[in-house]
Amino acid sequence: MDAAPGAERLAIARSEVHRACDLLVASTPEALQDSQNALADALAALQEFRRSQPPLNSAAAPLAKALRTEVIRAGRLLQNLAGFYQGWERILGAMSGGYTASGAPAAVSRQGRLCCRG
Amino acid sequence: MATITSSLMSASGALDAFTEALSVVENNVANASTPDYASQSEDFVPLELNPSQGLPGGVKAGQLISSRDEYAEQAVQQQTTLLGQAQQDVNSLTSIQSLFDISGNSGIPAALNNLFSAFSAWGQTPDSSVAQQNVIQQATAVANAFQQTATGLETAAYDTRQQLQATVDQVNQFASQMAGFNQQIMNGNRADPALDAEVHSTLDQLSNDGSISATQQSDGTWTVLLNGQTPLVMESQAYALSVGTVAPSANSPNPNGPAHLSLLSSDGTDITADTTAGQLGSLLNTANVVMPQYLGDETQDGSLNTLAESFAQNVNTLLTNGLQSNGAAGVPLFSWTNTTNVAQTLQVSSITPSQLAAISPGPPQVSNGVALALSQLADPTTGLSYTQSYANMASNVGSLLDTANANLQTQQAAVAQAQNVRQQVSGVSLDQEATILLQFQQAYEANSRLVNILDQLTEDTMNMLITS
Repeated sequence: MDAAPGAERLAIARSEVHRACDLLVASTPEALQDSQNALADALAALQEFRRSQPPLNSAAAPLAKALRTEVIRAGRLLQNLAGFYQGWERILGAMSGGYTASGAPAAVSRQGRLCCRG
Repeated sequence: MATITSSLMSASGALDAFTEALSVVENNVANASTPDYASQSEDFVPLELNPSQGLPGGVKAGQLISSRDEYAEQAVQQQTTLLGQAQQDVNSLTSIQSLFDISGNSGIPAALNNLFSAFSAWGQTPDSSVAQQNVIQQATAVANAFQQTATGLETAAYDTRQQLQATVDQVNQFASQMAGFNQQIMNGNRADPALDAEVHSTLDQLSNDGSISATQQSDGTWTVLLNGQTPLVMESQAYALSVGTVAPSANSPNPNGPAHLSLLSSDGTDITADTTAGQLGSLLNTANVVMPQYLGDETQDGSLNTLAESFAQNVNTLLTNGLQSNGAAGVPLFSWTNTTNVAQTLQVSSITPSQLAAISPGPPQVSNGVALALSQLADPTTGLSYTQSYANMASNVGSLLDTANANLQTQQAAVAQAQNVRQQVSGVSLDQEATILLQFQQAYEANSRLVNILDQLTEDTMNMLITS
Protein backbone atom coordinates (compact mmCIF):
# COMPACT_ATOMS: atom_id res chain seq x y z
CA MET A 1 0.00 0.00 0.00
CA ASP A 2 1.28 3.45 -0.86
CA ALA A 3 2.24 5.77 1.94
CA ALA A 4 -0.39 8.36 2.70
CA PRO A 5 0.14 11.81 1.22
CA GLY A 6 1.68 14.52 3.45
CA ALA A 7 -1.42 16.05 4.97
CA GLU A 8 -2.85 12.63 5.66
CA ARG A 9 0.28 11.61 7.56
CA LEU A 10 -0.26 14.58 9.82
CA ALA A 11 -3.88 13.52 10.25
CA ILE A 12 -2.76 10.01 11.19
CA ALA A 13 -0.26 11.41 13.70
CA ARG A 14 -2.98 13.57 15.24
CA SER A 15 -5.37 10.65 15.40
CA GLU A 16 -2.76 8.52 17.20
CA VAL A 17 -1.95 11.26 19.72
CA HIS A 18 -5.69 11.71 20.28
CA ARG A 19 -5.94 7.98 20.97
CA ALA A 20 -3.03 8.28 23.40
CA CYS A 21 -4.89 11.08 25.19
CA ASP A 22 -7.98 8.90 25.56
CA LEU A 23 -5.81 6.14 27.00
CA LEU A 24 -4.11 8.56 29.38
CA VAL A 25 -7.54 9.67 30.56
CA ALA A 26 -8.42 6.04 31.31
CA SER A 27 -5.06 5.88 33.14
CA THR A 28 -5.06 2.18 33.94
CA PRO A 29 -1.61 0.52 33.75
CA GLU A 30 -2.70 -1.32 30.60
CA ALA A 31 -3.93 1.88 29.01
CA LEU A 32 -0.62 3.54 29.80
CA GLN A 33 1.24 0.81 27.96
CA ASP A 34 -1.10 1.17 24.99
CA SER A 35 -0.67 4.95 24.96
CA GLN A 36 3.05 4.37 24.54
CA ASN A 37 2.34 2.45 21.33
CA ALA A 38 -0.04 5.13 20.09
CA LEU A 39 2.57 7.85 20.68
CA ALA A 40 5.21 5.78 18.91
CA ASP A 41 2.87 5.39 15.91
CA ALA A 42 2.23 9.13 15.92
CA LEU A 43 5.94 9.81 15.97
CA ALA A 44 6.50 7.45 13.05
CA ALA A 45 3.77 9.20 11.03
CA LEU A 46 5.19 12.62 11.80
CA GLN A 47 8.72 11.58 10.87
CA GLU A 48 7.40 10.12 7.65
CA PHE A 49 5.70 13.43 6.88
CA ARG A 50 8.92 15.34 7.49
CA ARG A 51 11.09 12.94 5.51
CA SER A 52 8.81 12.88 2.50
CA GLN A 53 8.95 16.68 2.11
CA PRO A 54 5.42 16.75 0.74
CA PRO A 55 4.12 19.57 -1.40
CA LEU A 56 3.01 22.13 1.17
CA ASN A 57 -0.58 23.22 0.98
CA SER A 58 -3.01 25.23 3.01
CA ALA A 59 -4.39 22.06 4.63
CA ALA A 60 -1.08 21.19 6.31
CA ALA A 61 -0.75 24.19 8.66
CA PRO A 62 -4.09 23.74 10.46
CA LEU A 63 -3.40 20.00 10.76
CA ALA A 64 0.03 20.66 12.25
CA LYS A 65 -1.52 23.13 14.68
CA ALA A 66 -4.20 20.62 15.66
CA LEU A 67 -1.51 17.95 16.12
CA ARG A 68 0.50 20.26 18.34
CA THR A 69 -2.59 20.98 20.46
CA GLU A 70 -3.09 17.24 20.92
CA VAL A 71 0.59 16.72 21.83
CA ILE A 72 0.40 19.50 24.42
CA ARG A 73 -2.75 17.86 25.80
CA ALA A 74 -1.02 14.48 26.01
CA GLY A 75 1.87 16.13 27.85
CA ARG A 76 -0.51 17.76 30.31
CA LEU A 77 -2.34 14.50 30.98
CA LEU A 78 0.92 12.67 31.51
CA GLN A 79 2.15 15.38 33.87
CA ASN A 80 -1.10 15.31 35.82
CA LEU A 81 -0.81 11.58 36.26
CA ALA A 82 2.85 11.82 37.27
CA GLY A 83 1.98 14.63 39.66
CA PHE A 84 -0.66 12.50 41.32
CA TYR A 85 1.56 9.46 41.84
CA GLN A 86 4.63 11.47 42.83
CA GLY A 87 2.55 13.46 45.30
CA TRP A 88 1.13 10.33 46.85
CA GLU A 89 4.60 8.77 46.92
CA ARG A 90 5.88 11.74 48.94
CA ILE A 91 2.96 11.54 51.35
CA LEU A 92 3.43 7.79 51.73
CA GLY A 93 7.15 8.29 52.31
CA ALA A 94 6.58 10.94 54.95
CA MET A 95 3.90 8.90 56.70
CA SER A 96 5.91 5.70 56.70
CA GLY A 97 9.50 6.92 57.03
CA GLY A 98 9.28 10.51 58.19
CA TYR A 99 11.57 13.11 56.74
CA THR A 100 15.23 13.10 55.76
CA ALA A 101 17.77 15.48 57.29
CA SER A 102 17.22 17.87 54.38
CA GLY A 103 13.49 17.98 55.10
CA ALA A 104 12.41 15.89 52.12
CA PRO A 105 9.99 13.01 52.65
CA ALA A 106 11.75 9.68 53.13
CA ALA A 107 11.88 7.40 50.13
CA VAL A 108 9.44 4.49 50.12
CA SER A 109 11.51 1.34 50.38
CA ARG A 110 10.86 -1.26 47.70
CA GLN A 111 13.07 -4.29 48.17
CA GLY A 112 12.44 -7.01 45.64
CA ARG A 113 11.63 -10.48 46.88
CA LEU A 114 10.29 -13.43 45.05
CA CYS A 115 7.54 -15.58 46.43
CA CYS A 116 7.36 -19.13 45.12
CA ARG A 117 4.13 -20.99 45.58
CA GLY A 118 3.89 -24.72 45.25
CA MET B 1 9.54 8.30 82.80
CA ALA B 2 7.10 5.40 82.65
CA THR B 3 5.10 7.27 80.03
CA ILE B 4 8.13 7.89 77.84
CA THR B 5 9.15 4.25 78.08
CA SER B 6 5.70 3.03 77.18
CA SER B 7 5.60 5.53 74.32
CA LEU B 8 8.86 4.22 72.95
CA MET B 9 7.69 0.64 73.31
CA SER B 10 4.41 1.35 71.58
CA ALA B 11 6.07 3.30 68.82
CA SER B 12 8.55 0.51 68.35
CA GLY B 13 5.72 -2.02 68.14
CA ALA B 14 3.90 0.14 65.63
CA LEU B 15 7.00 0.47 63.52
CA ASP B 16 7.52 -3.28 63.56
CA ALA B 17 3.97 -3.85 62.43
CA PHE B 18 4.32 -1.22 59.78
CA THR B 19 7.64 -2.60 58.52
CA GLU B 20 6.12 -6.04 58.28
CA ALA B 21 3.11 -4.74 56.38
CA LEU B 22 5.30 -2.71 54.06
CA SER B 23 7.41 -5.73 53.31
CA VAL B 24 4.27 -7.54 52.20
CA VAL B 25 3.56 -4.61 49.91
CA GLU B 26 7.12 -4.73 48.58
CA ASN B 27 6.77 -8.42 47.91
CA ASN B 28 3.55 -7.90 46.01
CA VAL B 29 5.12 -5.12 43.99
CA ALA B 30 8.22 -7.16 43.22
CA ASN B 31 6.02 -9.94 41.91
CA ALA B 32 3.63 -7.74 40.04
CA SER B 33 4.61 -9.36 36.75
CA THR B 34 5.05 -12.89 38.04
CA PRO B 35 2.50 -15.13 36.31
CA ASP B 36 -0.21 -16.52 38.60
CA TYR B 37 1.25 -14.75 41.58
CA ALA B 38 -1.45 -14.23 44.16
CA SER B 39 -0.92 -11.01 46.02
CA GLN B 40 -0.81 -11.11 49.78
CA SER B 41 -2.16 -8.56 52.13
CA GLU B 42 -1.73 -7.64 55.73
CA ASP B 43 -3.74 -5.09 57.62
CA PHE B 44 -2.01 -2.52 59.74
CA VAL B 45 -2.94 -2.78 63.38
CA PRO B 46 -4.57 0.35 64.71
CA LEU B 47 -2.95 1.64 67.88
CA GLU B 48 -5.05 3.43 70.43
CA LEU B 49 -4.12 6.98 71.36
CA ASN B 50 -4.58 7.41 75.12
CA PRO B 51 -1.68 9.25 76.78
CA SER B 52 -3.17 8.87 80.26
CA GLN B 53 -2.81 5.11 79.88
CA GLY B 54 0.56 5.37 78.15
CA LEU B 55 -0.79 4.59 74.68
CA PRO B 56 0.81 7.02 72.22
CA GLY B 57 -1.02 5.86 69.08
CA GLY B 58 0.79 5.38 65.81
CA VAL B 59 0.59 4.85 62.08
CA LYS B 60 -2.04 2.42 60.89
CA ALA B 61 -3.13 1.19 57.51
CA GLY B 62 -6.59 2.64 57.76
CA GLN B 63 -5.11 6.08 58.15
CA LEU B 64 -2.91 5.62 55.10
CA ILE B 65 -5.75 4.37 52.95
CA SER B 66 -7.94 7.19 54.14
CA SER B 67 -5.19 9.70 53.38
CA ARG B 68 -4.70 8.21 49.94
CA ASP B 69 -8.42 8.46 49.18
CA GLU B 70 -8.56 12.05 50.39
CA TYR B 71 -5.51 12.82 48.28
CA ALA B 72 -7.34 11.43 45.24
CA GLU B 73 -10.36 13.57 46.16
CA GLN B 74 -8.12 16.63 46.29
CA ALA B 75 -6.66 15.80 42.89
CA VAL B 76 -10.19 15.79 41.42
CA GLN B 77 -10.94 19.08 43.15
CA GLN B 78 -7.76 20.69 41.83
CA GLN B 79 -8.58 19.67 38.27
CA THR B 80 -12.19 20.79 38.73
CA THR B 81 -10.91 24.22 39.78
CA LEU B 82 -8.93 24.48 36.54
CA LEU B 83 -11.97 23.27 34.59
CA GLY B 84 -14.14 25.97 36.16
CA GLN B 85 -11.55 28.53 35.16
CA ALA B 86 -11.26 27.24 31.59
CA GLN B 87 -15.05 27.10 31.17
CA GLN B 88 -15.48 30.65 32.42
CA ASP B 89 -12.61 31.88 30.21
CA VAL B 90 -14.38 30.46 27.16
CA ASN B 91 -17.74 31.97 28.17
CA SER B 92 -16.27 35.43 28.79
CA LEU B 93 -14.09 35.51 25.68
CA THR B 94 -16.92 34.22 23.46
CA SER B 95 -19.01 37.13 24.64
CA ILE B 96 -16.20 39.61 23.95
CA GLN B 97 -15.30 38.14 20.57
CA SER B 98 -18.86 38.55 19.32
CA LEU B 99 -18.32 42.32 19.57
CA PHE B 100 -15.33 42.26 17.22
CA ASP B 101 -16.28 41.55 13.61
CA ILE B 102 -13.20 40.84 11.53
CA SER B 103 -15.10 39.86 8.38
CA GLY B 104 -15.24 43.51 7.34
CA ASN B 105 -18.98 43.24 6.67
CA SER B 106 -20.22 45.02 9.76
CA GLY B 107 -19.20 47.04 12.78
CA ILE B 108 -16.06 49.20 12.93
CA PRO B 109 -14.13 47.67 9.97
CA ALA B 110 -17.07 48.03 7.59
CA ALA B 111 -17.70 51.60 8.76
CA LEU B 112 -14.00 52.50 8.35
CA ASN B 113 -13.87 50.99 4.86
CA ASN B 114 -16.98 52.95 3.84
CA LEU B 115 -15.56 56.19 5.23
CA PHE B 116 -12.26 55.72 3.39
CA SER B 117 -14.25 55.08 0.20
CA ALA B 118 -16.19 58.27 0.88
CA PHE B 119 -12.94 60.22 1.39
CA SER B 120 -11.65 58.81 -1.88
CA ALA B 121 -14.81 59.77 -3.80
CA TRP B 122 -14.71 63.23 -2.24
CA GLY B 123 -11.08 63.58 -3.36
CA GLN B 124 -12.19 63.03 -6.96
CA THR B 125 -14.98 65.63 -6.75
CA PRO B 126 -14.03 67.90 -3.84
CA ASP B 127 -16.79 70.45 -4.52
CA SER B 128 -19.56 67.86 -4.86
CA SER B 129 -22.16 68.36 -2.13
CA VAL B 130 -23.23 64.72 -2.57
CA ALA B 131 -19.67 63.53 -1.91
CA GLN B 132 -19.38 65.87 1.06
CA GLN B 133 -22.72 64.69 2.47
CA ASN B 134 -21.59 61.07 2.05
CA VAL B 135 -18.43 61.79 4.07
CA ILE B 136 -20.55 63.17 6.93
CA GLN B 137 -22.87 60.15 6.78
CA GLN B 138 -20.03 57.60 6.78
CA ALA B 139 -18.21 59.48 9.56
CA THR B 140 -21.41 59.27 11.61
CA ALA B 141 -21.49 55.53 10.94
CA VAL B 142 -17.87 55.18 12.16
CA ALA B 143 -18.68 57.09 15.36
CA ASN B 144 -21.76 54.93 15.91
CA ALA B 145 -19.75 51.74 15.32
CA PHE B 146 -17.16 52.75 17.93
CA GLN B 147 -19.96 53.66 20.32
CA GLN B 148 -21.72 50.34 19.80
CA THR B 149 -18.56 48.29 20.32
CA ALA B 150 -17.62 50.28 23.42
CA THR B 151 -21.15 49.97 24.79
CA GLY B 152 -21.07 46.24 24.09
CA LEU B 153 -17.81 45.94 26.01
CA GLU B 154 -19.26 48.01 28.85
CA THR B 155 -22.22 45.64 28.95
CA ALA B 156 -19.86 42.65 28.96
CA ALA B 157 -17.92 44.26 31.83
CA TYR B 158 -21.19 44.77 33.72
CA ASP B 159 -22.20 41.16 33.07
CA THR B 160 -18.79 40.03 34.36
CA ARG B 161 -19.39 41.91 37.59
CA GLN B 162 -22.86 40.37 37.91
CA GLN B 163 -21.41 36.90 37.33
CA LEU B 164 -18.70 37.53 39.89
CA GLN B 165 -21.32 38.54 42.44
CA ALA B 166 -23.41 35.45 41.60
CA THR B 167 -20.35 33.20 41.94
CA VAL B 168 -19.42 34.75 45.29
CA ASP B 169 -23.02 34.23 46.47
CA GLN B 170 -22.73 30.59 45.40
CA VAL B 171 -19.42 30.17 47.27
CA ASN B 172 -21.01 31.66 50.38
CA GLN B 173 -23.96 29.31 50.02
CA PHE B 174 -21.69 26.25 49.74
CA ALA B 175 -19.68 27.48 52.74
CA SER B 176 -22.89 27.76 54.78
CA GLN B 177 -23.83 24.22 53.75
CA MET B 178 -20.41 22.96 54.84
CA ALA B 179 -20.76 24.75 58.18
CA GLY B 180 -24.12 22.99 58.59
CA PHE B 181 -22.52 19.62 57.81
CA ASN B 182 -19.83 20.35 60.40
CA GLN B 183 -22.53 21.07 62.95
CA GLN B 184 -24.09 17.68 62.21
CA ILE B 185 -20.67 16.03 62.61
CA MET B 186 -20.15 17.82 65.92
CA ASN B 187 -23.59 16.52 66.96
CA GLY B 188 -22.32 12.97 66.50
CA ASN B 189 -23.19 12.08 62.87
CA ARG B 190 -19.56 11.68 61.83
CA ALA B 191 -19.98 8.13 60.55
CA ASP B 192 -23.06 8.89 58.45
CA PRO B 193 -22.15 7.85 54.86
CA ALA B 194 -24.91 10.01 53.37
CA LEU B 195 -23.46 13.04 55.13
CA ASP B 196 -19.97 12.13 53.93
CA ALA B 197 -21.27 11.95 50.35
CA GLU B 198 -22.92 15.36 50.72
CA VAL B 199 -19.70 16.84 52.09
CA HIS B 200 -17.67 15.61 49.13
CA SER B 201 -20.30 16.62 46.60
CA THR B 202 -20.35 20.14 48.05
CA LEU B 203 -16.55 20.32 48.04
CA ASP B 204 -16.49 19.21 44.38
CA GLN B 205 -18.95 21.97 43.46
CA LEU B 206 -17.07 24.51 45.55
CA SER B 207 -13.79 23.63 43.84
CA ASN B 208 -15.31 24.68 40.50
CA ASP B 209 -15.55 28.24 41.85
CA GLY B 210 -12.06 28.59 43.29
CA SER B 211 -8.93 26.91 44.56
CA ILE B 212 -9.96 25.35 47.84
CA SER B 213 -8.18 23.13 50.31
CA ALA B 214 -10.35 21.02 52.57
CA THR B 215 -8.89 19.19 55.54
CA GLN B 216 -10.69 17.02 58.02
CA GLN B 217 -9.91 17.83 61.63
CA SER B 218 -9.47 15.29 64.40
CA ASP B 219 -13.08 15.89 65.54
CA GLY B 220 -14.27 15.01 62.04
CA THR B 221 -15.24 18.55 61.01
CA TRP B 222 -13.96 20.08 57.80
CA THR B 223 -11.88 23.22 57.50
CA VAL B 224 -12.13 24.82 54.07
CA LEU B 225 -9.70 27.49 52.90
CA LEU B 226 -9.72 29.51 49.69
CA ASN B 227 -6.31 29.98 48.02
CA GLY B 228 -4.75 28.00 50.85
CA GLN B 229 -5.16 30.79 53.40
CA THR B 230 -8.54 32.52 53.41
CA PRO B 231 -10.97 30.72 55.73
CA LEU B 232 -14.34 29.82 54.24
CA VAL B 233 -15.45 27.26 56.83
CA MET B 234 -14.15 26.38 60.30
CA GLU B 235 -16.25 24.15 62.54
CA SER B 236 -19.83 25.44 62.36
CA GLN B 237 -18.80 28.91 61.20
CA ALA B 238 -18.89 30.07 57.54
CA TYR B 239 -16.90 33.12 56.50
CA ALA B 240 -18.57 35.06 53.68
CA LEU B 241 -16.70 36.60 50.76
CA SER B 242 -17.80 39.84 49.13
CA VAL B 243 -17.16 41.81 45.93
CA GLY B 244 -15.75 45.32 45.99
CA THR B 245 -14.40 47.90 43.56
CA VAL B 246 -11.09 49.75 43.56
CA ALA B 247 -11.23 53.14 41.83
CA PRO B 248 -8.05 54.50 40.21
CA SER B 249 -5.96 56.64 42.52
CA ALA B 250 -5.78 60.37 41.86
CA ASN B 251 -2.10 60.24 40.90
CA SER B 252 -2.41 57.25 38.55
CA PRO B 253 -1.76 57.72 34.79
CA ASN B 254 -5.49 57.43 34.05
CA PRO B 255 -7.29 58.57 37.22
CA ASN B 256 -10.74 58.65 35.55
CA GLY B 257 -10.43 55.15 34.07
CA PRO B 258 -12.75 52.28 34.96
CA ALA B 259 -12.44 50.78 38.45
CA HIS B 260 -11.08 47.30 39.12
CA LEU B 261 -13.14 44.61 40.80
CA SER B 262 -11.87 43.13 44.03
CA LEU B 263 -12.64 40.06 46.10
CA LEU B 264 -12.74 40.57 49.84
CA SER B 265 -12.51 38.03 52.63
CA SER B 266 -14.89 38.13 55.58
CA ASP B 267 -12.57 40.50 57.48
CA GLY B 268 -12.34 42.87 54.50
CA THR B 269 -8.89 41.77 53.34
CA ASP B 270 -8.41 42.18 49.58
CA ILE B 271 -7.67 38.67 48.26
CA THR B 272 -7.96 39.51 44.55
CA ALA B 273 -4.28 38.96 43.79
CA ASP B 274 -4.36 35.50 45.39
CA THR B 275 -7.52 34.45 43.55
CA THR B 276 -6.22 33.30 40.19
CA ALA B 277 -7.96 29.95 39.75
CA GLY B 278 -11.47 28.61 39.27
CA GLN B 279 -14.45 30.58 38.08
CA LEU B 280 -13.61 33.38 40.52
CA GLY B 281 -10.07 33.67 39.15
CA SER B 282 -11.31 33.72 35.57
CA LEU B 283 -13.94 36.40 36.22
CA LEU B 284 -11.44 38.60 38.08
CA ASN B 285 -8.96 38.18 35.23
CA THR B 286 -11.62 39.11 32.66
CA ALA B 287 -12.67 42.17 34.67
CA ASN B 288 -9.21 43.39 35.65
CA VAL B 289 -6.92 42.27 32.83
CA VAL B 290 -8.86 41.44 29.63
CA MET B 291 -11.47 44.22 29.66
CA PRO B 292 -8.98 47.00 30.52
CA GLN B 293 -6.99 46.06 27.40
CA TYR B 294 -9.89 47.50 25.40
CA LEU B 295 -11.66 49.91 27.74
CA GLY B 296 -8.74 51.04 29.92
CA ASP B 297 -8.11 51.22 33.64
CA GLU B 298 -5.96 53.35 35.90
CA THR B 299 -2.78 52.58 33.96
CA GLN B 300 -3.97 52.49 30.33
CA ASP B 301 -6.51 54.08 28.00
CA GLY B 302 -7.57 50.80 26.38
CA SER B 303 -6.85 49.87 22.76
CA LEU B 304 -10.38 50.66 21.54
CA ASN B 305 -10.18 54.16 23.02
CA THR B 306 -6.66 54.62 21.70
CA LEU B 307 -7.73 53.58 18.21
CA ALA B 308 -10.81 55.82 18.25
CA GLU B 309 -8.86 58.82 19.54
CA SER B 310 -5.94 58.32 17.17
CA PHE B 311 -8.26 58.00 14.17
CA ALA B 312 -10.47 60.96 15.09
CA GLN B 313 -7.50 63.11 16.08
CA ASN B 314 -5.66 62.50 12.80
CA VAL B 315 -8.74 63.12 10.68
CA ASN B 316 -9.37 66.36 12.58
CA THR B 317 -5.75 67.47 12.27
CA LEU B 318 -5.76 67.04 8.48
CA LEU B 319 -9.07 68.87 8.14
CA THR B 320 -8.22 71.78 10.44
CA ASN B 321 -4.91 72.27 8.59
CA GLY B 322 -6.84 72.51 5.31
CA LEU B 323 -8.93 75.19 3.69
CA GLN B 324 -12.60 75.24 2.78
CA SER B 325 -13.61 76.22 -0.78
CA ASN B 326 -14.48 79.71 0.52
CA GLY B 327 -10.94 80.11 1.90
CA ALA B 328 -11.92 79.69 5.55
CA ALA B 329 -9.90 77.38 7.81
CA GLY B 330 -11.12 73.78 8.13
CA VAL B 331 -13.14 72.57 11.09
CA PRO B 332 -12.89 69.19 12.89
CA LEU B 333 -15.11 66.31 11.79
CA PHE B 334 -15.15 64.38 15.09
CA SER B 335 -15.60 65.32 18.72
CA TRP B 336 -15.83 63.38 21.99
CA THR B 337 -17.04 64.34 25.42
CA ASN B 338 -15.05 62.00 27.64
CA THR B 339 -11.28 61.83 27.20
CA THR B 340 -11.03 58.55 29.15
CA ASN B 341 -13.81 56.92 27.15
CA VAL B 342 -13.34 58.27 23.64
CA ALA B 343 -14.85 55.27 21.84
CA GLN B 344 -18.14 55.45 23.67
CA THR B 345 -18.55 59.23 23.31
CA LEU B 346 -17.21 59.66 19.78
CA GLN B 347 -19.55 61.65 17.53
CA VAL B 348 -19.54 63.81 14.44
CA SER B 349 -19.15 67.48 15.33
CA SER B 350 -21.63 70.16 14.27
CA ILE B 351 -19.80 70.48 10.94
CA THR B 352 -21.86 71.02 7.79
CA PRO B 353 -20.96 69.30 4.50
CA SER B 354 -19.77 72.54 2.91
CA GLN B 355 -17.37 73.12 5.83
CA LEU B 356 -15.31 70.06 4.90
CA ALA B 357 -11.87 71.39 3.99
CA ALA B 358 -10.55 69.58 0.92
CA ILE B 359 -7.85 72.11 -0.03
CA SER B 360 -4.30 71.53 1.07
CA PRO B 361 -2.78 75.04 1.58
CA GLY B 362 0.66 73.97 0.40
CA PRO B 363 2.50 75.58 -1.16
CA PRO B 364 1.66 74.53 -3.69
CA GLN B 365 -2.06 74.57 -2.90
CA VAL B 366 -3.85 71.39 -3.96
CA SER B 367 -7.60 71.53 -4.38
CA ASN B 368 -8.17 67.96 -3.17
CA GLY B 369 -4.96 67.46 -1.12
CA VAL B 370 -6.69 66.99 2.25
CA ALA B 371 -9.33 64.65 0.85
CA LEU B 372 -6.66 62.47 -0.79
CA ALA B 373 -4.56 62.44 2.38
CA LEU B 374 -7.62 61.34 4.36
CA SER B 375 -8.30 58.51 1.94
CA GLN B 376 -4.76 57.20 2.59
CA LEU B 377 -4.71 57.82 6.35
CA ALA B 378 -2.71 55.33 8.39
CA ASP B 379 -2.06 54.89 12.11
CA PRO B 380 1.15 56.92 12.67
CA THR B 381 2.22 54.80 15.66
CA THR B 382 2.17 51.51 13.73
CA GLY B 383 2.23 52.56 10.10
CA LEU B 384 -0.71 50.21 9.54
CA SER B 385 -4.06 51.22 8.14
CA TYR B 386 -6.70 51.77 10.82
CA THR B 387 -8.65 48.82 9.47
CA GLN B 388 -5.56 46.65 9.94
CA SER B 389 -4.97 48.02 13.45
CA TYR B 390 -8.54 47.12 14.33
CA ALA B 391 -8.13 43.66 12.77
CA ASN B 392 -5.04 43.03 14.92
CA MET B 393 -7.01 43.95 18.04
CA ALA B 394 -9.88 41.69 17.03
CA SER B 395 -7.60 38.79 16.11
CA ASN B 396 -6.01 39.03 19.57
CA VAL B 397 -9.41 38.24 21.08
CA GLY B 398 -9.83 35.37 18.65
CA SER B 399 -6.42 34.00 19.58
CA LEU B 400 -7.23 34.19 23.30
CA LEU B 401 -10.50 32.35 22.65
CA ASP B 402 -8.72 29.63 20.62
CA THR B 403 -6.31 29.07 23.49
CA ALA B 404 -9.16 29.05 26.01
CA ASN B 405 -11.09 26.47 23.97
CA ALA B 406 -8.02 24.22 23.75
CA ASN B 407 -7.52 24.59 27.51
CA LEU B 408 -11.14 23.71 28.12
CA GLN B 409 -10.90 20.49 26.14
CA THR B 410 -7.67 19.54 27.87
CA GLN B 411 -9.14 20.32 31.27
CA GLN B 412 -12.27 18.28 30.59
CA ALA B 413 -9.98 15.35 29.87
CA ALA B 414 -7.90 16.11 32.99
CA VAL B 415 -10.98 16.03 35.24
CA ALA B 416 -12.11 12.75 33.69
CA GLN B 417 -8.59 11.40 34.25
CA ALA B 418 -8.52 12.50 37.90
CA GLN B 419 -11.94 10.91 38.43
CA ASN B 420 -10.70 7.69 36.86
CA VAL B 421 -7.62 7.67 39.08
CA ARG B 422 -9.80 8.32 42.13
CA GLN B 423 -12.01 5.43 41.10
CA GLN B 424 -9.00 3.15 40.66
CA VAL B 425 -7.37 3.88 44.00
CA SER B 426 -10.52 4.23 46.04
CA GLY B 427 -11.01 1.26 48.28
CA VAL B 428 -8.11 -0.79 46.88
CA SER B 429 -5.37 -2.02 49.14
CA LEU B 430 -2.08 -0.21 49.43
CA ASP B 431 -0.16 -3.01 47.76
CA GLN B 432 -2.50 -3.04 44.76
CA GLU B 433 -2.05 0.67 44.45
CA ALA B 434 1.71 0.37 44.82
CA THR B 435 1.69 -2.13 41.97
CA ILE B 436 -0.14 0.36 39.81
CA LEU B 437 2.42 2.96 40.83
CA LEU B 438 5.33 0.79 39.73
CA GLN B 439 3.70 0.02 36.39
CA PHE B 440 2.97 3.68 35.92
CA GLN B 441 6.57 4.64 36.59
CA GLN B 442 7.75 2.24 33.92
CA ALA B 443 5.23 3.49 31.37
CA TYR B 444 5.74 7.11 32.32
CA GLU B 445 9.38 7.24 31.30
CA ALA B 446 8.71 5.88 27.82
CA ASN B 447 5.62 8.03 27.30
CA SER B 448 7.40 11.10 28.55
CA ARG B 449 10.28 10.64 26.12
CA LEU B 450 7.86 10.20 23.22
CA VAL B 451 5.85 13.27 24.18
CA ASN B 452 9.01 15.36 24.44
CA ILE B 453 10.16 14.30 20.99
CA LEU B 454 6.69 14.88 19.51
CA ASP B 455 6.57 18.28 21.17
CA GLN B 456 9.85 19.31 19.59
CA LEU B 457 9.02 17.83 16.19
CA THR B 458 5.55 19.38 15.98
CA GLU B 459 6.98 22.78 16.88
CA ASP B 460 9.64 22.42 14.18
CA THR B 461 7.00 21.25 11.71
CA MET B 462 4.79 24.24 12.44
CA ASN B 463 7.72 26.61 11.99
CA MET B 464 8.58 24.86 8.75
CA LEU B 465 5.01 25.28 7.45
CA ILE B 466 4.76 28.90 8.57
CA THR B 467 8.08 30.02 7.10
CA SER B 468 7.71 28.18 3.81
